[in-house]
Amino acid sequence: MTWLRDVLDDVADTAPPVDLTERTIGIRKRRRLRTTSITAAAAVIAIALGVTAAARLQPAQPRPAIAPRTVNDLPARGVKPLSHAFMTYCRPEHGEASAGCVHGWQVVTRSGTTYRVAQALSDFTPGLRPSPLAISRDGRKIAYYDTKAGTFAVRDLASGKVLTAPTKVPMGWLGRIVHLLLSDDGRFLAFTSAARLKNSAMLFDLHKRISRPLPNGWNPIGLSPDGDTITLAEYSPKTRLQTITRLWQTSPAGNTTTVDVAGNTTVGALGPDGHSIVALEFVKVGSAGCMRMGADLMHLDRKAGKVLRRVPVRDLSMTANVVLLRGWTGPHEIMALAKPFVCRDRDNTPASSLDPPDVPFTAYAVNVETGRARKLTTFTAQDSLNLVLPGFPGNP
Amino acid sequence: MDRNDSFREFMAVHQQSLMRTAYLLTGDAHLAEDLLQSVLLKVLSRWPKLVDVTSPQAYARKALVNQHISWRRRRTKAAELPSAEPPDRRYSIEDPTIIRIMMLRALAQLPPKQRTVIVLRYYEDLTEHETAKLLNCSIGTVKSQAHHALARLRVLAPELAPKFAEMEDLEGARR
Repeated sequence: MTWLRDVLDDVADTAPPVDLTERTIGIRKRRRLRTTSITAAAAVIAIALGVTAAARLQPAQPRPAIAPRTVNDLPARGVKPLSHAFMTYCRPEHGEASAGCVHGWQVVTRSGTTYRVAQALSDFTPGLRPSPLAISRDGRKIAYYDTKAGTFAVRDLASGKVLTAPTKVPMGWLGRIVHLLLSDDGRFLAFTSAARLKNSAMLFDLHKRISRPLPNGWNPIGLSPDGDTITLAEYSPKTRLQTITRLWQTSPAGNTTTVDVAGNTTVGALGPDGHSIVALEFVKVGSAGCMRMGADLMHLDRKAGKVLRRVPVRDLSMTANVVLLRGWTGPHEIMALAKPFVCRDRDNTPASSLDPPDVPFTAYAVNVETGRARKLTTFTAQDSLNLVLPGFPGNP
Repeated sequence: MDRNDSFREFMAVHQQSLMRTAYLLTGDAHLAEDLLQSVLLKVLSRWPKLVDVTSPQAYARKALVNQHISWRRRRTKAAELPSAEPPDRRYSIEDPTIIRIMMLRALAQLPPKQRTVIVLRYYEDLTEHETAKLLNCSIGTVKSQAHHALARLRVLAPELAPKFAEMEDLEGARR
């Protein structure tokens, strides 16, 4: 079988060189930080977190002792810029939560330190979706729903200064899917939700402490630095883009432009130039009707909704992954999160779990002109909505 | 030396060899890296036991194969074919690049278990007994999977069929 051996060897020679050593050690370290395994430790954590419901899920019998580890709460000040945030569910429908599971939002600094954001609402029923959290583009501020304040808050991580929204936002307004968009300087915060209640979406000016309504059911994708223009996307019943200008003027007549986008697409954040929008098209795969993205990055005309040009994505498999667009990492690069594409038969779909396993999300910087993708790093999270990167928090 | 240091030593020696196997199993560089990453996390989580009791490399290889079969079962409907194709112009099937492209395309169309048997038997040079043990199946299953896989490869890559026939003749003569 020498010939076949040689051919296979030749194929194997084309495998790219990899160095996964430090990444593996880093991921393992982060997971261990989230995983403690004794009832006593779970109880201590539960008391610290005030998560009594989680404590009730723990079995009565003590578990074997393993060195307990905890995740510290976000310090009052002095937190370095963030690389990302993730939300973990620890409330399975059946059985018990995994040992030491830390329920709620946690933020991770660029140096790898993880903190729990105890003040942020984690999730709400019956939607079973995470309550939103956003990170400013520079990683120095976070926006979240502050349960104590009953509204959204923006926190400067270095100084610890917290600005709360001027208007209370009842939790009933949050709906099933909530979108947040924080301006780069942390002054403006847009909030929209899938709960189609009148006037339940808003743009806040946290310095002047004023707010103005936004159309609900839309996803904010871009905010001008002066907070005067917002761009939003809507996906149901069809993909549309809306631009609202002169947001803070008393007579805003004629300031709204809405355009339809052809096809079933999902858009990334508005470009740093204030007008570029790129999108990916959904394509149906297989008889199970699974959806993933098409092979091309599409440049959209923000004012007409038309596809200006298509750029094939390279060095990132669009067929083996589900790819989601996030914020821009430079004037010509947009971040794309890729997770392995898995298509299950509908009949075979397992019951939904409130404690799903972590899946890998690999971040790429995709050059919108050439389509070439550059691998940045890999995160793990239970779902794309449970992983937040600085800038545009993204679509579901 | 802490566990991370000994893991680093293991990686320095075996990482690229595992990546080569992962690439042959998946046929895609990104998938191979994801597959290997997920297996390495398992390896590291069991590291203290692995270094004391058994060969970490054997464990990693077994985990790689099992994970691949499990992933591929779920992904069968969306299976991807390598995008590279033999050129339109006339080409020689002695050209290693052409052979490589044809083989990659043909391997991509094999069911996961058949592809795994091909990789283990003809790339890793495992015996039928070792392959059966690794795949947790009988030697008869390995033999039949290998037989069906080779027959399928001949159909999927007809240009390579003479090479396969030649190879099997040699194999038969050796017996």
